[in-house]
Order: sequence, then structure tokens, then C-alpha cells
Amino acid sequence: MLGRSFVVARREYFEHVRTKAFWLSTLLVPIFMTAMMVIPAWLASRGGGTVKVAVLDLTGRYFSGLEEKVDTRLSAPTEKLKIELFEQDPGVDPERTREELKRRVHAREFDGILILPESLPGSGAPQYVAPNVAAFRLLSVLDSVVNEILIEDRLSGAGLDPEKVGKLTKRVDLETFKLGAEGEETQDQGQVFLLSYGLVMIIFMSVLGYGIYVMRGVLEEKSSHIVEIIISAVRPFELMLGKILGIGAVGLTQFMLWSLVALAVTSPGVAAAAGLGAIEMPSMPVSLMVFFVVFFVLGFLLYGTLYAGIGAAFNTEKDAQNFQSVITLFLVAPLMLMMVIFNEPNGTLAISLSFVPFFTPMLMFLRMTLVRVPPVQIGASVLLLVLSILAMAWIVGKIYRVGILMQGSKPGFKDILNWIRQA
Amino acid sequence: MDAILKLQGVSKDFGKHRAVDHLSFEVPEGAIFGLLGPNGAGKSTTIRIIMRILMADSGEVIFQGRELDDERRRDIGYLPEERGLYTKMKVIDQLVYLGNIRGVSRSEAKKRASDWLERFQLEQWAQSKVEALSKGMQQKIQLIGAMIHQPRLLILDEPFSGLDPIVTRELKDLLLKMSSAGVTVVLSTHVLPQVDELCSHICLINRSRPILKGELEEIRTRYGGQLWKLRSRLSTEELESLPGVVSVRALKDEFLVEVQEAETEIFVRELAARGGLEGLARFVPDLENIFLRAVEEDSRDAR
Repeated sequence: MLGRSFVVARREYFEHVRTKAFWLSTLLVPIFMTAMMVIPAWLASRGGGTVKVAVLDLTGRYFSGLEEKVDTRLSAPTEKLKIELFEQDPGVDPERTREELKRRVHAREFDGILILPESLPGSGAPQYVAPNVAAFRLLSVLDSVVNEILIEDRLSGAGLDPEKVGKLTKRVDLETFKLGAEGEETQDQGQVFLLSYGLVMIIFMSVLGYGIYVMRGVLEEKSSHIVEIIISAVRPFELMLGKILGIGAVGLTQFMLWSLVALAVTSPGVAAAAGLGAIEMPSMPVSLMVFFVVFFVLGFLLYGTLYAGIGAAFNTEKDAQNFQSVITLFLVAPLMLMMVIFNEPNGTLAISLSFVPFFTPMLMFLRMTLVRVPPVQIGASVLLLVLSILAMAWIVGKIYRVGILMQGSKPGFKDILNWIRQA
Repeated sequence: MDAILKLQGVSKDFGKHRAVDHLSFEVPEGAIFGLLGPNGAGKSTTIRIIMRILMADSGEVIFQGRELDDERRRDIGYLPEERGLYTKMKVIDQLVYLGNIRGVSRSEAKKRASDWLERFQLEQWAQSKVEALSKGMQQKIQLIGAMIHQPRLLILDEPFSGLDPIVTRELKDLLLKMSSAGVTVVLSTHVLPQVDELCSHICLINRSRPILKGELEEIRTRYGGQLWKLRSRLSTEELESLPGVVSVRALKDEFLVEVQEAETEIFVRELAARGGLEGLARFVPDLENIFLRAVEEDSRDAR
């Protein structure tokens, strides 16, 4: 029996692995991921150049302090951004000067105009006028510098020492440490969140993507009429099993290729060649990697079986849509529930949810990335999941057996229940 | 001749509808066996039951002396009525796969597929995707797929439907060749002239039941012996009133009259006396006539 499923799986595997779509997605995903990590870092390091800003200081008091603070702020040797401030004489009519400055900005004499209204620091707000107001780094520097100088002015006005107040009100950042099983502390700056989130998303996307592959494959066999020839030699259940195993193997192959790419990209040599410091990757214990694969495989078996059943019950993807969206809902639900787990990974709600077989592959895995989950819970949830897969395969096998020969009208929920009862 | 395939009292219900009703027949080894009947008579259902795609509610299918099971059904070659191929798959891979699921090793399947492709002059298409092939070529690939494991029994459901005359001719020649090489062929069809040319044995199904079966030659004499073709001035009613007449069918400008064997002489004499005799000849019916008559009689019985 397994022999024939293996023959089917072999075909599914090689036919998929040979397609352009497989290689495209295998290549594009890491390129996209790398781009997501590298491009912001690259842009941040790049946001340089010299920006000329005309300053229309209508108070006549802030310019020198402003210039000083900007220079101090940008004094680091690696700093690539340079802001040059040019004090402008407001003249008799500030409005006219302002219009005149706008013209000069258009003439590219300046990149922008910083206007400090006369009413400062009591009321009113500083303004920055420029063709490009999305230069984040420049704006954040201007914003903080202007704020600093105005606050200092207000403090002095209230008879306080700006320097002293500055020291007293200095912000502190909360440092987070992940407490490991052995009582060790690992400093965390959001990596755990990102890694957990990312891995669960990969499970989600892969199970969804490959599940739908299974459904399409079954639909294709039906609509091309090859299926009757196949099931005259292979039992419907063997065909279904082979299909799911073959496509699952395609998914595993893709993970393997991705891991290789990830290893290559994050190796210091490549990163250095790309002109970057080594990208800091949160480390991932081997056991977690094993469970990642285990939960992908189990999740795919569960959902792949369901998608196979839907493919067998209907003739076109359009007919299948209603049922397909119900299953997709089951798959999306854990994504919505992720926050519950993040907030309290060992809470009663989190534990209960991670035991729902449809959610286990994502939510139990998510808990494992966050906290130490008792092995009993992991074992029990996996066992429950495996039992659900077997039950599902048994039910879907019946739908498959009847449905795969059905052409013509679109069956309803009642018909499908009937098939399960009959077969 | 031993029967390679035997059906014994096979019945199958779909809900309230009885699709196959106590069907029994034997297919002798080496025969070309025609499973005939109007559309909806239960031919495809019968074939699917033989191939164990559907399970009979009762009855047995005996193949080579033993009840057929999932393992041994792979020794049968099968071409369903609704046939297709994986359109995105290469021709040669497809054939290897079809052989492979029937237990032929990959290398052996590849060798046989190449031989067959050569025989059909399709070898230059081996590496093409199926979707690039014309319909006629695809039909040949399907046929090769059904024979790649060198079956002793080949079951073809409506093999001629949708074939152009050239491919039809090729297929007939091939089937005759296979038959003389000892392969037994079971084919279903509702197009009778083809059966006339090919089949040595038939089973005619109407309304889910077998109504006529056996060796074709024997059936032909059995029916032909009682049929007369004649031109006559007499009307159908007048002919029907003659002694020994069982039935009269008006054709274009002739009548086809069935007469009881024992009363043939009186019938001819009476006919001559009434002056109704213009051209009288024994009618050797083609299968179409036998078929129509048998179905007619059967349907009449049903009323």
C-alpha cells in the first residue's frame, strides 16, 4: 500500500520541484526577507549628504544656540548627514521675506526653510517648509534640536537651570532579558518577538500555500479526467496519501533550501562583502528547529487532508470557494490569537488554545518559542493532533472515494455528509 | 475456451436507481468482447465495477479463475470513457508513471513506452508536454498508457468515441492484432457497425439487465433465420395478419418481417396468393437490427 502511495508521492514531488513557480518562490522569499533586513539598515546608514536650511528666526534669539546644538548632534565621525543653517534677516516685512525664501528654495539655493515665530516659546509652533518633508532623519534632528532649545528657554524663563533639569529628567529605557531554563539571562531587544512571529508566519504561509497546492492538484486530476485511470490501479486513499506526502516533501525541500540561504546570508563573510556589519540574528536552539519542522509537517498533514477533501468534493476552484474559506478561517484564527499567547504564554487561555488541534501547529509552537512549555503538554498536544489527522484522513478518505468520480453539479454540505455515511 | 473474466450476478444500486441488475457474462480468453447497450444502460457502471472503482452491492467478478482484488486488478489494462492525462507532464514521464503505478519498474516502463511511441510514430514527442499534443496524439498516448504493463485483458470504455476515422481505423487494426496475439479485449460501445467488424462475443445490456449474450455468429443466425425482407403492395396491418408473422417493421420502401420458423412455408404461400410478393429474401441482419429488435422486445416486455 505504501509502495503505491510512494509512486504517487514521487510524481507529485518531482512535478512540483521542476516547476518555475517552485524555484521562483524558493528564490524570491529569501531575497525578500534579506531585503527587509538589509535595506532599512542600508538606508539608515546612507541617509547622508549636506542639507542647507534657511532659518527665519523671528524671535531673533535662537539661531546661534540652534546651530551649536545641530553641530554637536551631528559631530560623530561616522555621521553622514550634515545640516548647514543659514540665518536670514526677517527685514521689515517677514511675510515677504518668507515668500522670497520660498523662491530661493525653488531655485535650489536652500533645501528648506525653518521658521521660528515671534510668539515662541510661549505659544505658536516652529515650522519647516520644504519640497521634501519626508526626510525622516533630517526632520527628527531638527525636531529634537528645536524642542531642546525651546524647553531650555522655557526653563530659564521659569528660573530653573536647564542643565540640572536635563539631568534629572533623563529618560531611562527598560532593558528586557529573557530568562532561560537554566536561569540564564539573555538580553532581548525584540528579537524573540520577531523570531516567534516570523516562524509562526512561515508555518502559516507554508501550510496555506501547500494545502491549496494539494487542493488544486486534486481538482486538476478531476477536471483533466486522469483520475479514473489512476484509481483503477491505486486506491483513492493511497492516491490522497501519496499526494499529500509528495507535496509535503516539496515544502520541506523549500525549507531546507531557505535554511541554506539563511546560513549563507548571515555568515560574516557574506555580510562583510555586502558592506555591512554581520547581521545580528537571534540564535535559535536546535530543538526549536526540530519542532518547527514537526509542527509544519503535522499542520500540513491536517490541513492538506482537508484541502484534498475539498478538491475531491468539487469540480472547480470556484465551486470549492465556500468550503475553502471556512478552512482558511481555521488557519487564520491562530494568527488572530497570537497576542493572547504573547501576553501570557502559560496562561489557562493560551494553554487551552494551543491544545485545539487546528491551532496546535502554530500556537503550541509559538508558546515554545516564548517560554518553557512542560514536555507533557507538548506530547499531549502532538498526540491529539496526530489523532485528529488520522480521524480527518479517515473521513476525508470517504469523501475522496465518492467525490473524486463526481462530475456535474456542485454538492452541498448535506450531500457531502451523505457521502461520508455511505462510503 | 476458458473464461478469463466472469461476472456472476453483479448488481449495483445508486440510491433508488438500479444501475446494474443481476448481470452475468463470461469473456472467453482471446476474444474481443463487446459490451453493448443504449446510453444509460449500465455499461460504464459495469466496467467500473470490474475495475473495482465502484463496489458491487452483490455478485462476483472472477478474473483468471479467482475473485478479483485490488492487487490483481493492476494486471488489467483500462481506458475509461472519461479519459485524460496530466497536461503539464512530459509524455514519456507520464507513460512511465502509468506503468509505475501498475507495478512496472521505471526503467522497464521507459523502454516499453519508447517502443510504443516509435510504433505510433510519436517518438519525437517523448519530451514534449502533453498539452502540446493534438487530441488524436493524446488518445494514442492514453492507449499506450493502458497497455504499458502488457495486460492479458484490456478493458476499453467507448474507445471509439471522439476518434477521427483514421485513428479509429488504427485502433481497430491494433485491437485485432492484440487479439491475435492472445490479448483479450472487452470494449463497450453504442456504435454498432464497429462491433460487427471487431467482436467475436457480445453482451447486450438494456435497462441495467443483460438481454442478449453469446457468440456473435450464433446470435446472428439465431435472429437472421426468422427475418425476411420484402417489397409489397400490402400495408403493415395486412402483413401482420398473415399466418406465422410475429412482427412487421416498415423500412423506407421495404418491410422487415419476422416469421415463426415452422410457419415459413405457409407464410410465403399466403403472401404469394395475396399478390403481395415482389421481392422476398432472407434477411441477414447486421448487429444494429438485432440490437434494435432486442431492445424493442425488452422494452415491450417492460410495459
